[in-house]
Amino acid sequence: MIATEVLVVGGGLAGSVAALSAAREGAQVTLVSKAESTLKQASGLVDVLGRVDGELVADPFDAIQGLPDDHPYSVVGVDALHGGLALFDDVTGDRYRGGDRNALVPTTQGTVKPTLRYPGSVAPGIAGDGRETLLVGISTDPDFDAKRAAESLDATVPGDVRGVTVRFPRLRDDAKRTRHAKLLTESEEFRAKLVEKIAPRVDGADRVGFPAVFGEDPAFVRDELEARFDAAGAPVSVFEVPTGPPSIPGSRLRDLLRNELEDAGVELVTGVPVVDFEAEPGDTDAGDAADDADRVASVVVDRNGARVPYAPEQVVLATGGLVGEGIDSERDRVYEPIFDLHVPHPDDRYDWSAEGAFGDHAFARFGVRIDAEGRPLGENEAVAYENLRAAGAVVGGADTAMQKAASGVSLATGWRAGTRAAAESGVNNA
Amino acid sequence: MSTDNEDDFEPIQVFPEGDADLRPGADSCYKCSTCDSSCPVAEVDDEFPGPKFQGPEQWRLTRKGDQEIDDSIMKCSNCMRCDGACPSDVPLSQMHNTARAKYVEESMSKLSVEYWRNRLLANYGTMARFGSMFPRLTNAVMGNSLVQTINDRFLGITSEREFPAFATETFREWWADRGGAAVESEDRRVAYFHGDYANYNTPEVGKAMVRVFEHFGYEVAVPEQRCSGTPMFANGMLDDARRAARFNVETFADLVDDGYDIVCSCTSCSMALRQEYPELFDFDDTERVSAHTYDAVEYLRIHEDLDGALAAVDDVDAPDFAYHAPCHARNQGLDGQTTAVLSNLGDVETQDVGESCSGISGTYGWKSENYETSMAIGEEMFEHMADAEPETGLTECPTCAMQMEHGSDYPVKHTLQVIEAALTDRSLPV
Amino acid sequence: MATTTEVLVIGGGSTGTGIARDLAMRGVDVTLVEQGNLTHGTTGRMHGLLHSGGRYAVADQASATECIEENRVLRDIAGHCVEMTGGLFVKRPEDTDEYFEEKLQGCRECGIPAEVLSAEEAREVEPYLAKDIDRAIEVPDGAVDPFRLVVANAVSAEDHGARIETHAEVVDLLTDGDEVTGVRVKHDSGPGKREHGLPGETEEIHAEHVVNATGAWSGQLGEMAGVDVEVRPSKGVMVVMNVRQVDTVVNRCKPKGDADIVVPHETTAILGTTDEEVDDPEDYPEEGWEVDHMIDELSKLVPILSDARTIRSFWGVRPLYEPPDTGTTDPTDITRDFFLLDHADRDGVDGLTTVVGGKFTTYRLMAEKVTDHVCDHLGVRASCVTADEPLPGSENLDRLDSAMDDYGLRSPVARRSKQRLGSYAPDVLGTDEPNPVLCECEAVTRAEVQHAIGQAGTDLNAVRLRTRASMGNCQGGFCCHRLANELHPEYDAETAESSLDELWQERWKGHRHALWGEQLSQAMLNHTLHATTWNRDGDDADVDWDAFATPTRTATDGGSHDRD
Repeated sequence: MIATEVLVVGGGLAGSVAALSAAREGAQVTLVSKAESTLKQASGLVDVLGRVDGELVADPFDAIQGLPDDHPYSVVGVDALHGGLALFDDVTGDRYRGGDRNALVPTTQGTVKPTLRYPGSVAPGIAGDGRETLLVGISTDPDFDAKRAAESLDATVPGDVRGVTVRFPRLRDDAKRTRHAKLLTESEEFRAKLVEKIAPRVDGADRVGFPAVFGEDPAFVRDELEARFDAAGAPVSVFEVPTGPPSIPGSRLRDLLRNELEDAGVELVTGVPVVDFEAEPGDTDAGDAADDADRVASVVVDRNGARVPYAPEQVVLATGGLVGEGIDSERDRVYEPIFDLHVPHPDDRYDWSAEGAFGDHAFARFGVRIDAEGRPLGENEAVAYENLRAAGAVVGGADTAMQKAASGVSLATGWRAGTRAAAESGVNNA
Repeated sequence: MSTDNEDDFEPIQVFPEGDADLRPGADSCYKCSTCDSSCPVAEVDDEFPGPKFQGPEQWRLTRKGDQEIDDSIMKCSNCMRCDGACPSDVPLSQMHNTARAKYVEESMSKLSVEYWRNRLLANYGTMARFGSMFPRLTNAVMGNSLVQTINDRFLGITSEREFPAFATETFREWWADRGGAAVESEDRRVAYFHGDYANYNTPEVGKAMVRVFEHFGYEVAVPEQRCSGTPMFANGMLDDARRAARFNVETFADLVDDGYDIVCSCTSCSMALRQEYPELFDFDDTERVSAHTYDAVEYLRIHEDLDGALAAVDDVDAPDFAYHAPCHARNQGLDGQTTAVLSNLGDVETQDVGESCSGISGTYGWKSENYETSMAIGEEMFEHMADAEPETGLTECPTCAMQMEHGSDYPVKHTLQVIEAALTDRSLPV
Repeated sequence: MATTTEVLVIGGGSTGTGIARDLAMRGVDVTLVEQGNLTHGTTGRMHGLLHSGGRYAVADQASATECIEENRVLRDIAGHCVEMTGGLFVKRPEDTDEYFEEKLQGCRECGIPAEVLSAEEAREVEPYLAKDIDRAIEVPDGAVDPFRLVVANAVSAEDHGARIETHAEVVDLLTDGDEVTGVRVKHDSGPGKREHGLPGETEEIHAEHVVNATGAWSGQLGEMAGVDVEVRPSKGVMVVMNVRQVDTVVNRCKPKGDADIVVPHETTAILGTTDEEVDDPEDYPEEGWEVDHMIDELSKLVPILSDARTIRSFWGVRPLYEPPDTGTTDPTDITRDFFLLDHADRDGVDGLTTVVGGKFTTYRLMAEKVTDHVCDHLGVRASCVTADEPLPGSENLDRLDSAMDDYGLRSPVARRSKQRLGSYAPDVLGTDEPNPVLCECEAVTRAEVQHAIGQAGTDLNAVRLRTRASMGNCQGGFCCHRLANELHPEYDAETAESSLDELWQERWKGHRHALWGEQLSQAMLNHTLHATTWNRDGDDADVDWDAFATPTRTATDGGSHDRD
């Protein structure tokens, strides 16, 4: 058995925050993830609460007060969100911006979306200040039609928005976004040709937005592009418009967290799933109902066919929701595949979804239910395992996609689970 | 956890060898593109359309009787990062390996220089067997610049790289000379899969593995063996690989029957035995061999108190290290292992140089047409090595070691050699 | 507004467009109206089987003989719509030997080439067949894309001077005494529809003869003319799998029953079906047990289906017809033959002919018979050439096959595109403009989508049916917005947005029947992308901008420009 104090299962935003907050409390942490972080699919924006009952939310902390009691925020408490955000701000430093109120970020679909934290490279594009905007699309990138998005934005946001489409030099039509990012970062010639094509179209705009392909060091790319626009007599601020997958800002956030995890001494075990576990009776003398629950004694990692057992003191389950496959389903059931934790769901699968595409979908709320400490609860509301906590999208109870709250819930539950796991592991007990 | 005792339907039994239908593997794909954004080749070469296209998309579009595989498959370096990226268990590298084999079989001329060059590279063990009969002569010839130029021009093997020198005494010669195992044990037995490289080029790694295991009281067996097949998969030479794999599986299965577990010092070898064999072949004992195969250090962590043993060592005659985790280690969840294990050595610092791919990917970086791509992929690693304090490299993969030496001029060691130095009081050979 | 035409055909399915083409090729002035998109009815909701006739070889040999003849015709005239997959009638141990022999005998009597395969031979053809099958009969079944075929018929009709009007619902029949003299249609127009005149505009179309080819809707149309047409609509479910588990049509070799066929269709396999009478062809329950039944029952033939991913399900309504007083209770017993109802003879109503019943595979023959009948009325003497003239897109396919041009596309993308486009491929794909793949699941490029928009306007569902874009495993999650992008700037952003919403809702409808396992995860990813990343789930037209954080130039601008 490989011993560890805190074992975090899952390396997305919630797992990373849990591992970091545990490591910062002094625990020895191992993070096992079966796949790359789903952050690579996400826009890189960190939403906390952007829509409630169909209405846009400007002040998420105020709106949280009105959420139902079983919402993950209500369960773990606003202090957990503050804790998670503080950690996030500390990790990201000036690479992320945002305050206590949501900003509205233009999307590639010509909508604006409320978010609390956004990359510095996105900041100059925030809608609402009335500055004139030029959006730039790439003719081989079918995801972002700058002209269509601009026309939609122009109808809603203060200030003129125009669009232009250019062809990136010398690339195959199916070049990946990572290829664009690499060239923008490394090729001066590439940047020069790009600005040469766009500068004549700036025509008095204050800022120019590109699809988010500014690579690993967006500040560098922005500086370079802005200097070239300056030289071409068209001074502008340059910014990124976040995209769907594959998302460069999402990858950047993932890299940032990963470096931080390495620096914090977290052992990273990637590309392999947890497939099994063993439980043992908990400490029945503790007198506290939760501590009477069974303990997770060991978990088994499948390393490409070989079963490798770990013996953790505390476990954090941050395996994601339906997308990350922390929650799975069959025709007649929805379940949590590692610990078989209780996942409430309607019996009839036709009740899992609503009739309209943006209806009130039960599936969007699928997940385990937790207590204030982050511990998953059984069907009888009792703590399932005293040393197991859950964080992130594996926790259900709210449609955080429509609420634009998924990242915030990951921060809050990850922080809660990580700090509590550290507090109860050997270091702090000793 | 539940085990599936049903009579699993195995279509492979009725497919002709090497002609598996992998279309059902496309069922797991959500188009999230995480594989694409993790692909080191697509980032530097837009002629390569990325793993999502090569894997689930190309397979899904296939109809029986379709012959052509897109020729871009030959640009895949087989780093297998996409496997570790996918949140949904799409068998990406299996799809790539199978498509590549189909392409080589059906679309590549068997009279072309490219085919024979690839065949030569893929069968490194055969070449090495002859080369190491007269190691000094071979080293002199292969190091000759005229020979290198000829290789480059007529074979397409880059002259930028220096051929790895053959050892004057192979590992197997050393093993025979010392009279085989020095420790006998009934209950602690490992069979060592050393692979071609540790045998012909770096016998000191093999010796370290033997001495470390004997230190812990293990009886080591070193059976006859052939190449793991890794370079053959990467070149679409699936028939060659099948012959080698069949021999290895049969040999090692017998040892498993006798109570041996299989340990590897090369992470590509353990990858092949654990993952690629079960994905590509269906010999009687493939799965059993896979389930009993471990990375050598991983094995000690599971079964011995390796951390404790290393922590008890006062003084190690070893420098600090710049560590690179090979992609194939990453895919087995071994990426954090070396730094975690060596952190027990008080006076040796091991700095991880980041998670970028080294770029060589076995035979890939040896091909003239890939050399520049290979170095472009490796650039990030070179930079991080230069930024790191230590000036000795450390990794578990022999070709990553070549690339590290090539790009940095640092000597490169294997984790087992450091453990050997610590536990057996040997100084690290320079 | 009013127009005149010689013959008005109602219904844009295979029969209607087939008739329109045949009439037009015989020099008749014809107008076709369709309430929705082409194939709105039954044609667009079938499993895509091109019958060899094998299925009818025991019970209905006349139909079986017609099927094999038309099967051969369609291979000739509609090569780009047909894939000759071959078919198997597979006998499981519990199926009787007697029926197997009857089937074999019947095929031979009807001129359907049929070979008996042992279990091993059958599993060599289809490796995923169950291990315990007994044997199989191999027949020349095939797969056909009904939409492509109908579009080709419509285009050919137009080429010969016909007028084809989609999104034009018949709201009334025009009559003069006992004679039907035309129809009044309401044109639906706007985003997601065909752009045509003003939304809600009506038109009177006067005709010498009206053909009712509305399939399951024939009864409703008959009512407008005061005649009884006893269609008995019968619903059937089709379950779409994500990949082709089989490349051959797999039929269960037993007398009749539900869930007995798997058709490889383009990139997917379609499981079918049920046969249950319904009251209203537009409103009937679509139930989960039907989906489960397909999977569970057909897994007995192809076991991996039990764990395979389905991406959606759809239902179709067969326009079954039986002459009055036949009294059949089980819809599976109703004949699949077609009927031509001459309402002058039958009901004393002149100027109206109804065609009901029949099968997709024999649509051309039905159209020929109806056209003969109408031409008799009109005194037109030209003869039918639809069995010999290739449909647009299927001309000179042999020559195209030998030209290996991949148009700069990756080979599987080029292969699929060429198969869909047939002889249009060089014109459509041979573009100098960037031609990225928009739908990665189905390998559909921008050029093909633009070509379809040229035909279908803002109706992205029609674009979908023409190209297969958004019909793969993500069910449009990653490409519906790309299709909408292609509408701009020809159509404005608001129109593009509405068309996107319409397509997205349509995709969702069928997708809902597949929401478990991988497809539920896919739905969640789609939901996250559309709701979270793009914030497409709300109508945020009136934003209180002052309430939100607005960056001042220096405070939040991370770039150097403002720092300089």
